[in-house]
Amino acid sequence: MGVRIDQDAILTLQLPYRERLQVRRTVFDGGGTPTVAVVAGIHGDELEGLYVCHRLAAWLESLVTRRPDALRGRVELYPALNPLGVDTLQRFVPVFDTDLNRNFPGHAAGLLPQRITEAVMRHLAGAALVLDIHASNVFLREIPQVRINEAFAEHLVPLARRMNIDIIWLHGALTVLEATIAHSLNARDTPCLVVEMGVGMRITPAFTDQLMTGILRAWRDLGVLDSDVPLDDLTHHPLIADDSNVHYLNAETSGLFVPEAEHWTSVTKGQRLGCIVSAHEGRVLSEVRSPVDGVLFTLREYPVVYEGSLMARIMAVAAPSACGGLDG
Amino acid sequence: MTAPPALLRMSAPLRDDFEIPYHHIGDGEPKVAVVAGIHGDELNGVFVVSRLARFLKAVAAGEHPGQRLVAPVLIVPAVNVLGVNTRNRRWPFDSTDINRMFPGYDAGETTQRIAHAVLELTRPAHYRLDIHSSNLDFEEIPQVRLYEPTERERDSSRLFGLAAVIERPMNTIFTSTIGHAWRAFGGENFVVQAGQAGVLQPPHCARLFRALVAFLVRSGILRGVDLSEEDEDTHYFGLRQTLPLISDNAGFFLSRLDVGRWVQAGDVVGQVYDGFDGELRHEIKAPVAGLLSGMRRQPLLFEGDLVARIQTRHPVTEGVDTYLHGQGQ
Repeated sequence: MGVRIDQDAILTLQLPYRERLQVRRTVFDGGGTPTVAVVAGIHGDELEGLYVCHRLAAWLESLVTRRPDALRGRVELYPALNPLGVDTLQRFVPVFDTDLNRNFPGHAAGLLPQRITEAVMRHLAGAALVLDIHASNVFLREIPQVRINEAFAEHLVPLARRMNIDIIWLHGALTVLEATIAHSLNARDTPCLVVEMGVGMRITPAFTDQLMTGILRAWRDLGVLDSDVPLDDLTHHPLIADDSNVHYLNAETSGLFVPEAEHWTSVTKGQRLGCIVSAHEGRVLSEVRSPVDGVLFTLREYPVVYEGSLMARIMAVAAPSACGGLDG
Repeated sequence: MTAPPALLRMSAPLRDDFEIPYHHIGDGEPKVAVVAGIHGDELNGVFVVSRLARFLKAVAAGEHPGQRLVAPVLIVPAVNVLGVNTRNRRWPFDSTDINRMFPGYDAGETTQRIAHAVLELTRPAHYRLDIHSSNLDFEEIPQVRLYEPTERERDSSRLFGLAAVIERPMNTIFTSTIGHAWRAFGGENFVVQAGQAGVLQPPHCARLFRALVAFLVRSGILRGVDLSEEDEDTHYFGLRQTLPLISDNAGFFLSRLDVGRWVQAGDVVGQVYDGFDGELRHEIKAPVAGLLSGMRRQPLLFEGDLVARIQTRHPVTEGVDTYLHGQGQ
C-alpha cells in the first residue's frame, strides 16, 4: 500500500466580506495504525510549533521518498489552529478576542472559536498521541518542557520522559484549565502532551532539533515508524518540577528588567540574576537574586516590567552542577 | 479635599505611580460592595456607579433631608484604571482579562495582585455587585445575571426591579471571575449587566442607576428615598429560557430593533447582506416569542455569530449550552 500525503481543511467558515477561514492540516498516511498528531499555533503569536511542523513535514517527505514502507501509521500536522491569529499577529482569536485554548471542547453551533475547537476535537479524538506545542508568550523564554496536569500524570509522565525535553512540570488541577485542548483530549482518553519552549514571535532552531528527536522516537516507539528507522539518541533527560520546587521571581517594582544570568544555567542561592532599572535615572531600583540553588528555566525576554511581572522561574536542585547546560 | 482611599497602589514602568481608588461611604464595615470597570471598556457601569457614589455621599452628608444611609457602602467605579484610560477591555500591558484572574494572588502577576486586592476589599460586605456591559459588539438590556444562585440570591435579585433576571449555566471560565470568587465568602452576590461596551447609553444608565438605588432601598440600606417611578415587570428566566440566535450566514448585519422589546415567533430580527454584491442573503427571524434581551450592534458578521438573545416564557431545549463561553460575562 502506498503512502498518501494530503492537505485538507478540517473546517471552512465564511468571513464577513467574501473570504473564507480554513483550518488546514497535512496528513502523511502510511495506511496502518496508529494515528499521531502535532498541533501548534493555538496562540497566534507562538511560532515555535509552526517551525516544528515544517521540520517534521520535511523529514517525513524525505522518509517516504527513500523508504515509503517505513511509515506505518498516520501522522497529522496542524501548524495553526488559530490561522487568523497567526496571519494577523494576534495571540487570541481576532475579532472574538478570546483565548482559543480556553474554548475547548467547543460546540459545532457555537461562535467561530468554539466551532474551531469542536472540529479539532472531532478530528483528534482517538489518536495515540497528540502534541500541543506552545512557545510561551512574548514576555518569557522557556526551556523545552512538557507540562502535565497531575490528574493525568500517571499515564503521561512516562511518555514525556522520552520526549528529549529538559523539564516535566507537574501542575495542580485548575478548573479553568479544563477548557484547554490538553485537558479536553486527556479527559477523553486521547493522550495529549503540552510542550512549552522558546519565546513568542520567534523560532529557536536548536530547540526544534532537540524536540524533533523526542517526537520521532516517540512515534517509532508507538509503531508509527518502522522499528528499524534510524534516529538520534536521546540527549536530554527531564527533571521533574512541581509546586514544591519551582520558585517564582516576580518584580518588586516597575521598570526595565536587565538580565545578567544566562537562561538554563545553574544558579546559586543569592546569586544576582539581573536588576530592575529606571529609564529616568541612573540608579538600580531592584536587584533580582536567586532564592535557592537551582536551574534557571524561565527567563524574562521582554524588558519592561510592572510590579508583579514574572522575571524568572527557578527549579530548586540540590546539586545544581549535576544539571547540564543547554546543549548546542 | 482629601484623596480617596485606594485598594492598590503600584509603580508604573515610566509614568507616575498609579492607584485604584474607591469610595467608602459611611463609617465602619461595608454592608454593600459595588464594583465596576473590571473591563476597561464597559463605561455604563463606571459612569453610573460614580454617580451613585456622589448621590450616596450627599445622603450621608445630610444634604437630602429625610434620606439616610443606614449601612456603609463601598464603590469601586473602575478596577481596570489603565484600561479605561486607554480604551482597553483587558489589562493593557499583558492583555490579561482581570475578570479571569480571580481569586488572584498578592505575590503574583500584576493582574493577580489587582484581583486579590479587590477581593480583600469587598470580602466583608454582605451584598456584592459586579457591574458589566457586554462587549463592543453586543447590547444587552439592564439585567441581573445569576450563576448557580442560592435561594436568597434568587429572591433578592428581584429587589433591583429590572425587567430581567437571567440565570446562566456555570462554566469552567466563570470559575476565574470575581462573581465566582465572592461565593467563597458567603453573602449574596450579583452580576449586573447593562448595555454595550465602548459607549455611554443614557437610557440604560438611568435604568441601572434606578435599579441600584431600588436595591439599596429595598435591602434596608437606604431610607427615605421615594422610588417614584413604577418598577418594570420583573421576569425571572431560568437556565433553559435563553435562546441565542445564531446566523449561519456571514456578511453585513442590519437591525432596527431595540433591546427590551417583546417579539413574536416569525418576527424579523434583522437582515444579512453580501458586502460585495449588495445582495440580501438572509432574513433572520425569531424562532420563538420572547423578550429581546440582547442585540448585535456590530455589522460585520462571521458564520456562526450571535445576532440576538431571546428570553422565552417557557423552557426551550436547544442552544442553551452554546454560549457557555459566549460573549460578555
